[in-house]
Amino acid sequence: MFMKKWLGKLVLSILMCIIGVAAILIGIFYFDFISQSIYEDSTDHLEEIYGQVNRSFGAFVERNWGLLDSWGNYLTVTKNIKSSEVSEYIAKEQEYWGFSEFYFLSDDKSLTTPDGTGENIDLEEVWNSLSQKKEPIMVGGTLSAGQEVTVFAIPVQPGEYKGFGYDAIAISYTNADMADSLNVDAFSGQAKCCVIHNDGSVLLSTQTGGSVFDNYLVYLKAASDLNEDRLAQIQNDWQSGTSGLLQCDIGDVSYCILYQPVGYQDYILLSVVPQSVVSAGFLSVQKITMTVLIVIFLLIGAAVIALLYARSRKQSRKNKTELQYRELMFDVLSNNVDDIFIMLDHENQRVDYISPNIERLLGIPVQEALNNIRVMEKCAINYDVVIPKEELKAIPLNGNKYWECEYMHQNTGERRWYRMTVYHMNIQDVTKFIIVLSDRTQEQQMNQQLQEALTAARSANEAKSNFLSNMSHDIRTPMNAIVGFSVLLEKDADKADKVREYTRKITASSHHLLSLINDVLDMSKIESGKTSLNVDRFSLPELLEELNIILMPQAKAKHQCLKFYVQGTPPEQMIGDKLRLNQILINLVSNAIKYTPDGGKIDFLVYELPSSAHQYIKLRFVVRDNGIGMSEEFQKHIFAPFSREISSVTNKIQGTGLGMAITKNLVDLMGGVIWVESQPQKGTTFTVELSFALPEQEESEQWFSEKITRMLVADDEEEICLDIKELMRDTNVDISYVTDGSAAVEAAVQAHRRGEDFNVILLDWKMPGLNGIETARMIREQIGTGVPIMVLTSYDWSDIETEARQAGINAFMPKPFFVSTFWQTIKPLFSDHTVHNDGGKEAVDSVMKGRMFLVAEDNELNAEILTEMLGMEGASCELAVNGQEAVDMFTKSQPGHYDMILMDVQMPVMNGYEATRQIRASGHPEAKTIPIAAMTANTFAEDVRNALDSGMDGHLAKPIDMNAVRDLAGRLIIKKNKP
Amino acid sequence: MKKRYFSVLLTLAAAISITTCNGTSEMSDKTSLTIMGRKSDMQKSYMTSIFDQYQKSTGTMLDIIAIEDADFETEATEKFAHGDVPDVFMHFHNADLERFDVSDNFYYLNNESWVSDLTDRSRDYCLDSKGNLLGLPFWESSVSGCYYNKTLLNSLGLKPATTQAEFDFLCQALAEIGYTPICWPEDGCTWMFQLGLDPVFADDPSLLDKLNKNEITYSDIPEVTNMVKWIKNAADKGWFGSDYLKKDWSDISTDMGSGDAVMTFIWDTWFYTDFEQGNKYSVDDFALMPIFMNTVDGGTYEGGNLNMMMVNKNSDRLKTALEFLSFCATDKNYNIAFDGISTVNCFKGQTTNIQSQMVTDAGASIAENERASTAASRIIGYSADDVAAAFGSMFNKDTDVSGCVKLMDDYRIKKAKTQGADGF
Repeated sequence: MFMKKWLGKLVLSILMCIIGVAAILIGIFYFDFISQSIYEDSTDHLEEIYGQVNRSFGAFVERNWGLLDSWGNYLTVTKNIKSSEVSEYIAKEQEYWGFSEFYFLSDDKSLTTPDGTGENIDLEEVWNSLSQKKEPIMVGGTLSAGQEVTVFAIPVQPGEYKGFGYDAIAISYTNADMADSLNVDAFSGQAKCCVIHNDGSVLLSTQTGGSVFDNYLVYLKAASDLNEDRLAQIQNDWQSGTSGLLQCDIGDVSYCILYQPVGYQDYILLSVVPQSVVSAGFLSVQKITMTVLIVIFLLIGAAVIALLYARSRKQSRKNKTELQYRELMFDVLSNNVDDIFIMLDHENQRVDYISPNIERLLGIPVQEALNNIRVMEKCAINYDVVIPKEELKAIPLNGNKYWECEYMHQNTGERRWYRMTVYHMNIQDVTKFIIVLSDRTQEQQMNQQLQEALTAARSANEAKSNFLSNMSHDIRTPMNAIVGFSVLLEKDADKADKVREYTRKITASSHHLLSLINDVLDMSKIESGKTSLNVDRFSLPELLEELNIILMPQAKAKHQCLKFYVQGTPPEQMIGDKLRLNQILINLVSNAIKYTPDGGKIDFLVYELPSSAHQYIKLRFVVRDNGIGMSEEFQKHIFAPFSREISSVTNKIQGTGLGMAITKNLVDLMGGVIWVESQPQKGTTFTVELSFALPEQEESEQWFSEKITRMLVADDEEEICLDIKELMRDTNVDISYVTDGSAAVEAAVQAHRRGEDFNVILLDWKMPGLNGIETARMIREQIGTGVPIMVLTSYDWSDIETEARQAGINAFMPKPFFVSTFWQTIKPLFSDHTVHNDGGKEAVDSVMKGRMFLVAEDNELNAEILTEMLGMEGASCELAVNGQEAVDMFTKSQPGHYDMILMDVQMPVMNGYEATRQIRASGHPEAKTIPIAAMTANTFAEDVRNALDSGMDGHLAKPIDMNAVRDLAGRLIIKKNKP
Repeated sequence: MKKRYFSVLLTLAAAISITTCNGTSEMSDKTSLTIMGRKSDMQKSYMTSIFDQYQKSTGTMLDIIAIEDADFETEATEKFAHGDVPDVFMHFHNADLERFDVSDNFYYLNNESWVSDLTDRSRDYCLDSKGNLLGLPFWESSVSGCYYNKTLLNSLGLKPATTQAEFDFLCQALAEIGYTPICWPEDGCTWMFQLGLDPVFADDPSLLDKLNKNEITYSDIPEVTNMVKWIKNAADKGWFGSDYLKKDWSDISTDMGSGDAVMTFIWDTWFYTDFEQGNKYSVDDFALMPIFMNTVDGGTYEGGNLNMMMVNKNSDRLKTALEFLSFCATDKNYNIAFDGISTVNCFKGQTTNIQSQMVTDAGASIAENERASTAASRIIGYSADDVAAAFGSMFNKDTDVSGCVKLMDDYRIKKAKTQGADGF
């Protein structure tokens, strides 16, 4: 390609040279031709003019001779007249013809003028012709006064004038007058004209001062550039009376010299005219012609140049536009890709181009990089010399080389990986380096991710292997127990003690197996990304109360001290997924209980953290124990699925290894953080931080302002009293507190005596001196039952509930104190103003007895178990094998026939959700009110939500726990039967 | 001045008894006439010869008062001022002569018998503005004119010029052939300018009179401007050669001898005193034609400055003094005195002096066109150096023609003021 282009340029150059040389040669030829033509025309013109001059001069000579002849005749005829008359006659003729003098000549060469004055003119050379040959003559002479004259003379009849005998007469003209007869107006007055003899001697010259010419042939020999041969030829011409034209240079001037015989004696008319004058007219034409030609050529040239220029401009604009388009496109392209393009000069490595995306990708301003490409070194991580000079030079022409580079963005610190490929190229005979930094960041990151994934997969696989190993052990353990004790049960069926013991162990093993399966399923659900949050308003006190209820028995079973602390005054109502929060906290506390030896201490703390937005609250939950702790190594993997620390202690503790992984995933799902701090044998602290939205303002405040104005609080921990006072500040309830039971009694009695009874009295259960029950009893004894008394406790009050109610305590509430809990607890007391002694449990128990359940269950075994279990509770049931049958049985039943429906979800013909919707949509009088509870192995929050969405009132997880059935049924049936 | 200087060098010292002592004279008992003049002038051979002849012939002793040249004008003026006027006083007819109250002190010699023997040129030189003959010219002299290389000119087919037009034509023709038409070195040739001015003031003495009375200036005289224009034109056209500004007096001999230059404005005796022999051309190759400087069409020759002997008309020995002059003007006596002296004739009867062939050949032309040296000698305040300086400014393009004329006037007037001339 390059060779072709070079050849094209060469051919074009040669062609242009040939055209140029041809133009010059043609110009020279044309100029020479024109010059020659002009010269010929000019000389013709010169010959024509001076031919005319010569003829005029000849006529002038002939005229003079003619006049002399006529005057001679006159003198002959009038030889007898007086001299005065002759003189007068001659004077008249002189005046008329303009000659300068008239002469009478005698044969002795003397002469006289009409006035008798003698004169001496040298006529020697022509005297013979005049005197002997009787021929007319013309000769030059110098008068005695020095005046140069030309004399014309003819022989006449001898005569006498004033005594002077004459044989010839003559007239003379001054040479100045003679010159006038030779002058021509042509040639701008620059023409010289001489009359010379054939030897070159000058008779007269027309030019002012030209009399200094003595001999023109000698002058030409000395002054001109004519060579000897040419001069000899001229001399020959003159001797032979031949006309001729010659051209010569005299000094710096070129002359045309024309010589023509006058036709008398040896006289020659010599015309000397500057060449430039001779050809002036023609040169003018030539000049005009040449000027026109030059102008035409120039115009054509200018037009061609203009055309070429216009084309060049157009091409240039086009190229520029294309270049701009390309640059723009390249800039846009480069801005939309993460590759960086650089062009360097080969010699000095100056940057010719750098794509503008370098600023976006590496944080290097384009201009800075243009000024010095070395600025890239600041961003290089693994390559200290960004573009190594020596290595660049080692790249052969048209070759390339690449390096792997890693850069860090100057401003953001983002790391990027590039493959830097350097191409050594020749562009328009200029050697350049084209550098392409191909972005490999995604590839690198993908490789890293793949590596991590591979590592994770290996780890997970290993974990699963471990898990399967563990599960094999964990599942087999309860299963062995179930199978083993079932065998023993059959064997010892007649031994009541053995049966109860075996049954209890089988039940425990079953529960453990069930929890194991639940965790596995829960983890599987979370990992598959199908877990979502059920965000709703919930009460923090309620949440803590439920935790208390659930966890306190476990801790109590291990004689552990489990305490709940709330620091600060967090709002009671907030919005979040209570179920998942509960799950997180239960997991943490359960683990603490599990891995804390008997008698250990477990603290559950809630902190309110500063929040950036007022509509949100940030809470920190801390679960701290003094248990066995964990190794630092295990802490790194504690949140990984299927991870369990292997030790002699933990091996004895049942667990799936999924609890913490589930917890971590749930925290992540809720946008929180979790971390662990632990030391082996010293204990472990889990910390969870979560943010919750805050609901609108509570309605409780108005209620308090209407119902309660004064309250007495008694707790041996004054901080609790102050916390309660602070928490109740917005309710405007006047809080009085005391730190022991006696003071509480005293305060209550005093108030009563003043007729200003407290509206409610809140007593801590365990106080030094009088405990809460004893204090309540004494207060009742002093002031009666008019004032509601409540017990605040961190402990399970089920053991003291009967005694407490007997002592006059109206209600219990768990620590920590929450206004909402307090309000919900105390509100019923003010609605009927009676103190209820009926426990909840008893109410539920009574609900189960005699109730009729519609059980929809396709599995016969499960149906049988449920039937038996309901029977054990004093209830009965009717079975439907699918949803459609359940719908039919309900719609056909009499109102009040069924107290509740237990609906399996996954059933043939019609599932439980659809069946529920049809029941709710049926025209049965109890279609809207009949309690329906789902029974399903699907225990996730979504399952609960789906159940509720379909119209069910509750959810029971399989395998069915009768306690759960009892609790749910109790609440739903009581609710249904309330007016 | 040059001319006189070189003439002096050729003069042999006279071995006569001349006493000189700062203007004091040693008078003898036989003294009957006192003659005062420059010391160098008094020592000329022809002067000592005539003095000697007179004393021997008449027995009348001469008291020669020879004053040192440098002090001559001052001392002589003082003597005249104190009435100490000699019987015979020798002085050139120039502007300085006016100091000596010519009309009051000197006798007009118009009617002396020897007047008819004077050549016209020498007679005219001695006339005052009113035509009175002031003295007897008795001096060696030469003819300044345009000396040309006739051999060379003839070989070029050219003739000498007879008019200004022919001279210009000739110059141009020579220049075109490649010769330097006129050898005119800018340095040391200050006399050349006066040659053109001579005919202006010689032909119209009234101009000289007005100029000397400061009634007119050069700029009022067209011929002066014409001369300056011509000189500038000649220089511009290369008629003086391409390097005339670098040349000096000594180059005249070289350029004329080699034939590089064809013509020069010089005097005939120069060929015998300064022209170096052995060159391509010798003195025989040269001829004389008039000087053409655009002030007179027929050209001009400058006759030499002549020392003239004037007679104290108030002297008691007036008669003896007139007899002395007659003795000097006798052909026998002056032919003895000028025997072998190269000079043009002052007397028509001079035969023993040596007159150059060039002058002889041009006799007719000289007779027609010769003027006495007028400009340099008669113009009050004239200085050849000043005039040359004015032209130098023009040659060096520092001024133009009118500027040059003005400079000539300025210098002249300044010098006249210095001299205390009347009217300035």
